Amino acid sequence: MAGSTTRRAFLRGIIAAGSGLAIVPLLGATTAAAQVGGGGGASQLPVNVPRDQVYVVDQIFRYSVANNFNLFVPNGPPNPTRQGLVFDTLWYLDQDNGQWINSLAADKPSYSPDWTQMTVPLRQGVYWSDGVEFTSDDVVFTVQSIQSTPGLFFSAEMKLYVKDVSAPDKYTVVFTLNEPNPRFHMYFTTRYNAVYMMAKHVWQGQNLQTFTNSPPVSLGAYVAQDADPNGYWELFKLRDDWQRATPGIITGQAGPPYLLTIFYGGGQQKVIAMARHDLDVLFDLDFEAFKALTDGTPTARSWFSDFPWAYTNELDTRYFGFNQATPPYDNKDVRWALALATDIVGLDTNYVGGVAKVTPIPIPASPLHMGLYHVPMEPWLQSLTIDVGNGETFQPYDPDIPNRIAAWAQQQGYSVPSDPDGIRQRFGIGSWKYAPDMAAKLLLKNGFTKDSNGMWLLPDGTPWKITFIAAPDENDAYRLALGAQDQWKSFGIDVQVDSLERTPFGTRQNTGDFVATSSWGQFQVNATADIWGGTGLSSLHSKFFTPVGQSTAGNGSNNIWRFKLPELDSVIDQMSKLPPDDPQVLDLGRQAMQLWVSNMLTLTTLSFKKFITQDTQYWRGFPTAENPTRQPLYWFMGGRFTFPLLTPTPR
Amino acid sequence: MSFLRSYALPRLVQWAVVILVGATVTFIIPRLLPTDPVEQTLNRVSSTTVTDPRAVESFRNAIRDLYGLQGTPLEQYLRFWSRLIHGDLGPSLGAFPTPVTQIIRDGLPWTVGLLGSTLILSWILGLVLGTLAAYFSSARWSHVLAGVLVTIYPVPYFILALVLVMVFAYYIPLFPLVGGASGQASLSLAYFASILQHSFLPAVSLLLGGTAFRFIIARALAGGVIASDPVVYAEVAGLPKRRIIFGYILRNSLLPQVTDLALALGALFEGALITEFVFSYPGIGYRLYTAILQSDFNMIMGVTIFSIVGIATAALLIDLLYPLVDPRVRYR
Repeated sequence: MAGSTTRRAFLRGIIAAGSGLAIVPLLGATTAAAQVGGGGGASQLPVNVPRDQVYVVDQIFRYSVANNFNLFVPNGPPNPTRQGLVFDTLWYLDQDNGQWINSLAADKPSYSPDWTQMTVPLRQGVYWSDGVEFTSDDVVFTVQSIQSTPGLFFSAEMKLYVKDVSAPDKYTVVFTLNEPNPRFHMYFTTRYNAVYMMAKHVWQGQNLQTFTNSPPVSLGAYVAQDADPNGYWELFKLRDDWQRATPGIITGQAGPPYLLTIFYGGGQQKVIAMARHDLDVLFDLDFEAFKALTDGTPTARSWFSDFPWAYTNELDTRYFGFNQATPPYDNKDVRWALALATDIVGLDTNYVGGVAKVTPIPIPASPLHMGLYHVPMEPWLQSLTIDVGNGETFQPYDPDIPNRIAAWAQQQGYSVPSDPDGIRQRFGIGSWKYAPDMAAKLLLKNGFTKDSNGMWLLPDGTPWKITFIAAPDENDAYRLALGAQDQWKSFGIDVQVDSLERTPFGTRQNTGDFVATSSWGQFQVNATADIWGGTGLSSLHSKFFTPVGQSTAGNGSNNIWRFKLPELDSVIDQMSKLPPDDPQVLDLGRQAMQLWVSNMLTLTTLSFKKFITQDTQYWRGFPTAENPTRQPLYWFMGGRFTFPLLTPTPR
Repeated sequence: MSFLRSYALPRLVQWAVVILVGATVTFIIPRLLPTDPVEQTLNRVSSTTVTDPRAVESFRNAIRDLYGLQGTPLEQYLRFWSRLIHGDLGPSLGAFPTPVTQIIRDGLPWTVGLLGSTLILSWILGLVLGTLAAYFSSARWSHVLAGVLVTIYPVPYFILALVLVMVFAYYIPLFPLVGGASGQASLSLAYFASILQHSFLPAVSLLLGGTAFRFIIARALAGGVIASDPVVYAEVAGLPKRRIIFGYILRNSLLPQVTDLALALGALFEGALITEFVFSYPGIGYRLYTAILQSDFNMIMGVTIFSIVGIATAALLIDLLYPLVDPRVRYR
């Protein structure tokens, strides 16, 4: 009797408690949905703003610092997206079409003949969000403050270059430089970010290293409204006087009243969020996640509405890099052998879904750069000849690769352009032939042999083993490493892939603690013909060569492959003396690329692609291939000119 | 007096030594890693910003000063203790210049709230259900319950959590995908309901695994106690089942479970990384994870010190409270 009662009472208690625990959150769910639904229907966003008033943007990562807008502090407050919403600088380069945008500057800079003075006319009628006009005093204050505060972004550069900065009038700034520098304006020209402007009336008297600048007095179209202290989201509100900020002035459009950046987590959470219409644009997905999303969500799409879907013009490339301070990778024949043992069509189609463009040079096959580099260089690429030993030569360039990828795509049932030019624009101009027989000849020429199992032995007779390092969170680079592992194993090389978190991956690259890497980003170009500055050629000069064991980043170099090429040094030196728009810069850039390819400094595989995906349930007007108004790279600072194009979807 | 000198004092000294050694080891280990916060900063800067190679050296020195990493390791160590005594854990090097204490303050309540409540709930549920299942081992419900929980236990936590997200945030979109609450923090009922709503799925995921784990242990422990002489005599004497279960079986199988609870409570401060990832829930697990990746010495120290103090204190409390719980333990 007692046992029976105990059990029943216990079970009743459990059921009651469980029901209570379940019902309270369900009530909460209903209440929350009712609160935020407003005119836009039910949503589960963390802010109480009607859904049809807020554009929801994928926040690339969870912020470590909240409620801090001092973006001048390195490793401090995050900058993706938010730098463009509340900050501004002098000029922008649209990363899709290369368009030069005068933002806070009224025109391009003018230099003195000896390149030691730069004069900038400022745009009139630009106001901070507190109603104070932006003037040359703000520019002078910004540069002088950064100069005198060590450790801030660009402080070392401003100290190195700027002898004096002055404001002859309210709308003119004159920089006097310590040495000739025809590219000084690039510090104020945005690719991803640049020298942001400080509001003198806000920052004056503050400790610039610790000032939080929160809430910020904005020079963008938005002001910060609210944020999650744990870094998951940030809410921005359109300024009432948005016409007095450069996005409004330049585009003439307002954009959404609110903008919410939100970090949902991994790909599966982003897919769920967009399928629920709780996310309007996302940064990237892997191929399978993208297909799962778009197959079940008719309002979701990427750059193209059909194959290859993805945005393929981001200005970076994927490559296999080798530590050239370590034999046998110091031998260009060995690097060429690995290139010819790589089936680029197989890599693109089997591992990346055939959606990325091939490129034989470390410059992406964007329409802009195809016209500047790839197409003009193609005759040289076709005539390129390498010595494979025993007096035999070989022409490695294969212009037919785009056609083979197109044929594969057709077999999959995808529609592809029928004209040759359309195919090249879609898949790139060409790449290296898959020629394992020639690769073998190159290795035999250099003393390599094969064992009884058909596996390659190094010249000293030991088995040849390649260990790739790759970061799985950089999806394409990782998949390409796995592809190379498969292909090179078939060729007779024992290949292993070490999966690393992003930070140790970067550290091992920078310190030379690797043999082979599947990577990206060490050689990035801007939306211009000039490939000297930024993370371009300049830091690859051998004067910045960094021995194994020391960090390239700590030495101001991006040469993680640790090559020294005097001919390239000469080209870099010549380019450094020219302004970026000098016609000779393009010729020298092509020369640099010829040297890169001849020496197979890196094995470039594919251009970048991103499944930047938008949902048109609530908002439309985000750029697409059919309507390429602005760069879709919204997390870059130039994204500030993309958001005003959005309009509510008629309901 | 004798209790203090011969029992409590040695344990207090031991507690202090554990914290001192733990903090010192935590100070040393990150500095032995191949990563360096200054170099990490340079990496991050050079990946997005136009940098002049000639400016790097002065930039590096400035960052080192800014981060407070100048001086010998011994000088840094002494500075660390000097700051810690004043309750200052320094700035986070990966979220500079935000104080570590502020980051922990923002994240810790979510971690402790979620993990603490689910731990205690799962401990009670597992203990009671396991004891009942052992006592009524031949009952049908006992078999069903054991079958369900033993099946759930080996399911990888990540899978379990993901299934919950898929079912209740996608197919039946009842619950939010991100955060710990909606709107501004307040004492309103709506905000409280929002906290419950946001924490429901992560809590269920933790409760299922935690309850299953403790159910299995409690059932095994209770099974041993049921066969012991006192319980057999109690059955023969015809004592009520409620008294047998709660007065004899559960109480006698409680000791190792109390130890488990105390240590698990102490370990709360390490956070629950996978829970935070899958449910995008706030907390300090992710902070610790990114701190390790970024060589954020100060942040690693901050979270770890909370953890060391938590576990050491829990162990101390167990030691001090054991004589009250277990009559076999006596002060000498």
